[in-house]
Amino acid sequence: MTLRLRRHAFSDDQTLMMAIVNRTPDSFFDRGATWAEDAAFDRVRLVAEQGAEIVDIGGIKAAPGVEIGAEEEKSRVVDFVARVRAEYPDLVISVDTWRAEVGAAVCEAGADVLNDAWGGADPELVDVAAQYGAAIVCTHTGGVTPRTRPYRIEYDDVMRAVLDDTLGYAQRAMDAGVARESIVIDPAHDFGKNTFHSLEITRRLGEMVETGWPVLVSLSNKDFVGETLDRPVGERLLGTLAATSICAFAGARIYRVHQVEETRQTVDMAWTIASRRRPAYAIRGIQ
Amino acid sequence: MKIVLIPGCLALLPEHASLRDPVADLRVAVLEAASWLGDDVEIIATEQGRRVARSVLADRQRSTASASAGRDVLVVANGSACRTEKAPGFLDGRAEAFDTALGAALREPSPAALLEVDDALATELWADVAALPELAELLGGARTAAVDYDDTPYGVQYWVIRWQA
Repeated sequence: MTLRLRRHAFSDDQTLMMAIVNRTPDSFFDRGATWAEDAAFDRVRLVAEQGAEIVDIGGIKAAPGVEIGAEEEKSRVVDFVARVRAEYPDLVISVDTWRAEVGAAVCEAGADVLNDAWGGADPELVDVAAQYGAAIVCTHTGGVTPRTRPYRIEYDDVMRAVLDDTLGYAQRAMDAGVARESIVIDPAHDFGKNTFHSLEITRRLGEMVETGWPVLVSLSNKDFVGETLDRPVGERLLGTLAATSICAFAGARIYRVHQVEETRQTVDMAWTIASRRRPAYAIRGIQ
Repeated sequence: MKIVLIPGCLALLPEHASLRDPVADLRVAVLEAASWLGDDVEIIATEQGRRVARSVLADRQRSTASASAGRDVLVVANGSACRTEKAPGFLDGRAEAFDTALGAALREPSPAALLEVDDALATELWADVAALPELAELLGGARTAAVDYDDTPYGVQYWVIRWQA
């Protein structure tokens, strides 16, 4: 299915790099490196040069911490979205927010995608996406409150729960008026899940792809990678890329990443092994 | 009768397509020459070369200008695969002279010279010359209409040549 992210359209055989751009002082990976607006803009410039099709701008870290209200969140992201929109008209702008109020403000400023990492915690977010013709990412969190860590959550069948929740969310988005080709589903590794859950949804990602909805995966340097390999943040790239290759082979379309170039090569390799992409330039043995 | 020679380069097959065509120039020459042939085309080639020929004939652009009265012929053969150290058969010092002599026989054309090609040396140089005896028979009295391609990309000698018999 053609994927439409507001004013941008992508064909079925395209994979997309969604580069993380944090306007936060405390996110786990960059630890505030792009908290200053100019630093964040330098990050946008870098990932655009590296070929990222999407930037995912976030104003609140996922982990628990100081409460950030809607006004503060908007002050971090709205004007920044407008600045990116003005300088990069061809770049897809996603904003990582669960709040409808923030979603409306960033769509007004030119955002194309509302990346709701918290599984529809604000039921009015889908209305905002519909109103602006924006795309929406429907994630599974197991119903947890935004910015909380999983604690003793269990599922009879974690992939069944992921499918039920993300497809239900997708249906709610369609019912609200979001275009079918503008809805993306995301199992949300680590969100409402322990490491064993995240490993299982990675292993079974093909079940999400088979639904026909475009699948986004957000694997980059997460705890399930770190716990699997016993590696701290900063030493998780290889594990991230291994998980990425599994998801790419299964058919995931969008990859939310810190490291764009490494992920692009990994995805292209796996996507080509899966016969969804041609080799770049193959002549060995067929001269 | 129109006769066309193309190489049995497997990169011409659609199942081996890349995002960036490694034989773009050769492909253009091959398809243009094959389009010069009429509808009724006999293929002279090895079994593997026949697959390339069939694919080329399926891909070519047909036009009224290429109409022929009788049967035309598409021949698949090429020179050595030993022209550089990166070539499939590695660098062989005898390859350039072999290709030069064979190229001259094809361009002229000289059926007698084509019949004198050293099969043992051709095998050592990884040249595909199995179709040359039959080609030599066809070229008696023929004139060369065009040499569309003569180059050694990837260390393999390719020709695309048209003759009118």
